[in-house]
Amino acid sequence: MTERQLKTRPRNRVIVNKKIAPYLFLAPFALLFVAFLIVPLIYAADISLYKKAMVGGVKFVGADNYIKAFADPKFWEGIGVLFKFAFLQIPIMIGTALLFALILDSGVLWAKAFFRISFFIPYAVPAVIATLIWSYLYGPAYGPIGQTARLLGFEAPDFVSQEWILGSIVNIAQWQFMGYNMIIYFAALQAIPGDLEEASVVDGASAFTFATRIKLPMIVPTIIVTVVFSIIGSLQLFTEPFLIQNMARSVINSNFTPNIYAYNLTFVAQQPNYAAAISFLLGGVIAVVSYVFMLATNQRIDR
Amino acid sequence: MAENKSTSAVTFGFGRRDFLRGAAATATLPIIAGLPKMAMADEAVELLVWAWTPDTAAQAEMFMRKFPNIKVKIENQGGGKPHYDKLRNAIQAGSGLPDVAQMEFNSIPSFRALQSLADMGPYGANEVKDKFIDWTWAAGSDGDAVYSIPWDSGPMASIYRDDIYSANGLVPAKTWDEFADSAMKLAKDKPGTYLTNFVGASDAGWLGSQLWQIGARPFHVNGAEIHIEINSQKAKDLLNYWQKLIDAKAVDTTPGWTTEWFAGMDEGRYATWIAAAWSPIVMQQSMKKSFGLWRAAPMPVWEAGKKVTSNWGGSTFSAFTTSQHLAEATQFAVFMGSDLEAAKLWNTKQFLFPVLKELATDTELMGHPFEFYGNQPVNQVFAESLGQVDPTFEFAPFQDYADQILTDALAKAIGGEGTMAGALDGVQDAVVAYAKDQGFTVI
Amino acid sequence: MSIVGKNASSAKFRRNRWLLTGLLSLYFIYTFMPLFYVITAATKSNQDLFSTFGLWFAEDFSLWENLATLFTIQDGIFLKWMANTAYYSSVSAVGAALFSTLAGYAFAKYRFFGKKLMFALVLGAVMIPQTALVIPMFLMLSSMGLTNTSLAVILPSLVFPPGVFLMWAYIDDAISNELIEAGRMDGAGEVHIFSSIAFRMLMPGFATVLILAFVASWNNYFLPLVMLNKPDMFPITVGLAQLYSTAISGTGGVLLFTVVMTGALVSIVPVIAAFLIMQRFWQGGLGAGGVKA
Repeated sequence: MTERQLKTRPRNRVIVNKKIAPYLFLAPFALLFVAFLIVPLIYAADISLYKKAMVGGVKFVGADNYIKAFADPKFWEGIGVLFKFAFLQIPIMIGTALLFALILDSGVLWAKAFFRISFFIPYAVPAVIATLIWSYLYGPAYGPIGQTARLLGFEAPDFVSQEWILGSIVNIAQWQFMGYNMIIYFAALQAIPGDLEEASVVDGASAFTFATRIKLPMIVPTIIVTVVFSIIGSLQLFTEPFLIQNMARSVINSNFTPNIYAYNLTFVAQQPNYAAAISFLLGGVIAVVSYVFMLATNQRIDR
Repeated sequence: MAENKSTSAVTFGFGRRDFLRGAAATATLPIIAGLPKMAMADEAVELLVWAWTPDTAAQAEMFMRKFPNIKVKIENQGGGKPHYDKLRNAIQAGSGLPDVAQMEFNSIPSFRALQSLADMGPYGANEVKDKFIDWTWAAGSDGDAVYSIPWDSGPMASIYRDDIYSANGLVPAKTWDEFADSAMKLAKDKPGTYLTNFVGASDAGWLGSQLWQIGARPFHVNGAEIHIEINSQKAKDLLNYWQKLIDAKAVDTTPGWTTEWFAGMDEGRYATWIAAAWSPIVMQQSMKKSFGLWRAAPMPVWEAGKKVTSNWGGSTFSAFTTSQHLAEATQFAVFMGSDLEAAKLWNTKQFLFPVLKELATDTELMGHPFEFYGNQPVNQVFAESLGQVDPTFEFAPFQDYADQILTDALAKAIGGEGTMAGALDGVQDAVVAYAKDQGFTVI
Repeated sequence: MSIVGKNASSAKFRRNRWLLTGLLSLYFIYTFMPLFYVITAATKSNQDLFSTFGLWFAEDFSLWENLATLFTIQDGIFLKWMANTAYYSSVSAVGAALFSTLAGYAFAKYRFFGKKLMFALVLGAVMIPQTALVIPMFLMLSSMGLTNTSLAVILPSLVFPPGVFLMWAYIDDAISNELIEAGRMDGAGEVHIFSSIAFRMLMPGFATVLILAFVASWNNYFLPLVMLNKPDMFPITVGLAQLYSTAISGTGGVLLFTVVMTGALVSIVPVIAAFLIMQRFWQGGLGAGGVKA
């Protein structure tokens, strides 16, 4: 097949050699990478050194914005919310995804394909829509969950109260992304060679031990990758609290997460330079956390 | 780099080029304004208008029939915060601003401070000045400079459910003391039904109207000097009043402008909304069940016999310095505010309370029965209220920011951390610090 | 074949089957409930939305009215939002997948000067949250007058570092060095080897990145919210959120609560359908990057 294609190759085309080729392949990505990642970072770093006041205009303030941010409880409260969210959301989501993947993989189930596909479906629903739907469901007086609870004779908790709000946001993320992670684990489990099973049958291991002791360790690298992506994802929290804010006003304030804070600093408080400093710091915090996690799990990817 | 940054103002507000363009336009204005009106819109001009009031497009069509060469396109960016966020976004971006935008009285100083509102004075806006109720005109102008032209006002009243009131032996409260008594009584007689729902922690505009009525004056602005007194005794009195009712569970605290809140009013969970003349615009569509059951009575007052009410919201139209069609934009804003037929229609169809002296005394209009109110001629109630508004209330040039800090703090208190009045001191400090940071001299 | 399948007749196995299927059925109810709510809400009138039981249909069937409102509101802007979303997401997805594949191929199959540094940069970039860049990017693009253009939404979405990472892992596995060497022996140029030999072998990986990039773009709210001011240009996410905000401010002209839900329904149905049709791509492919790393 290869040979036939080679023959149909036009004769007088430029043959790109081995030395230049990698740069050529990299060029489009690298260009965009520089333009939309590196340059905005530099730009953000640059403008974060200035300040624009309503009276007095723009002036250079050096590291003032960073000094201010380091001492700004609103920023750190937001970081605190992100950490609480991540510590709550990631273990639950990864845990259920693993459990379901192992169950699917075990072959015990009826309607295996049905579950696999239906759990994945919410991944197709964007966060905006998922949040809108859940915010209707959460309504304490007129939402269906409250209605159902009252029908059954008890009061549903107030999902948008101080105690429950984080759980309510975690729930939206769980609903949306559990299936996605489950599919990844399932694929990884299926990729494990079958002869292992034969061996363990001979050893007399139970299905449960087999799943947890033998199969699970084999997909640890996969788990680590998904956890890193989940950390990055959950620390970017914006859409869900931003949209649910007006019904949970007593809990979600204008600096609930650093992204919401940066948005409000830019478009309400007229402090774009300070917002740039906040964004920069947030990026730094997330990069450090993800990196520390990777180091801690000893998964250095170097080649 | 540094130099470059400070002169290329594009990132921050509008650029030098826009400024020059604006200056050039201003210079040529008097000539244009002097021309007969027909010549002004010789070529078809399209105006982009951001407004959220329902069916603004229908009123714009009345305008287009009168000025066929001006085509008006209405875009709705969502009411309240989303609308102003988008305006600031466009100002920041230096592109994407509409020619004209609906602007509440509260927000005029903020956008003036950003130097983004165009002076419509040179385009003949002052010709209609005398038609408007004085304070509404004063709110958007500075001498002969006209930054916004009033459209409707928001005199307040007590909008209540006749069915719930009569079933529970309630009468509209004349004073806030009576109101508190009724709230306690209703909560006891009929658990699950509240006399009202306190939205002060989610709607700063509403809270502002209550501060206005009780006599608190959080801001006084004089150029770059600003006096800030958010934690005044009067403000604390107001919040303590509501705190007591909240703590006694005599009023509910569902955040305003949510599905739950709308449903609560329609389903009879809330019996009263202390609200403005325009409020039924947002009620008539969502409250089909309770349509016709609402009535309006004078707003409760703080001192029996001393009739001081308040104003909540009400809008104006402002044009932006970036507009290429300021003459037409002015014409549009002038028409929307001052055309008698349009204003009448908008009052009877959309509840927009007129800002025109002539209409406030128009007996036919004042006697107009509204179906939403069970055919009560409510304009009389609101006209009376409008006459009792003390117009000395001022808004800050960073009102939205102050509002955000204020609602953050009050909402937290409602959520159970401390008291609302206690939260005011922190808000005061934060806003003073912000004002100083923005270069104002705080006095 | 799985271990437990081998003694399928035992009582313990049957009990487990009931138990586990029951457990997953519960989770299915949880997964399905919100979707079912969207369906019932889209068939209700606004009055019924709050006064009838949320998880069942009302007596009056208002789906057609809701659809009519949805597609006529603001001069039929919803159709524009759908078209915008399709445009932004497909261009972003194809571009991101293609550029990621090319870059991943370079990293996986070549030695070149600066490779280590560049790869470290890409890996580092995976760690940088895209949303943290939204405000800086907005400030930068506004200084260039590029906000309010479709480029402002598409160009940043073309940079998809996780895609490079996944493709690198996938290509390293799926395409042997011998195959490429064989191509070189035959005198084929590097570009030719890639386009006619390698590319079809890495199709599954490409499809995976395509889906991931598509979902990333389709899911995006923060970036278009900040970049776009013209309702005509909104994607569905920003449009629906805005419709919702006009609904709760009571200013949509007609009450929009059920219309928002109808819009939600209309916009997720095609994507769910596409997912069902393309099952074979995502089921196999999604694991690829993870397994390797």
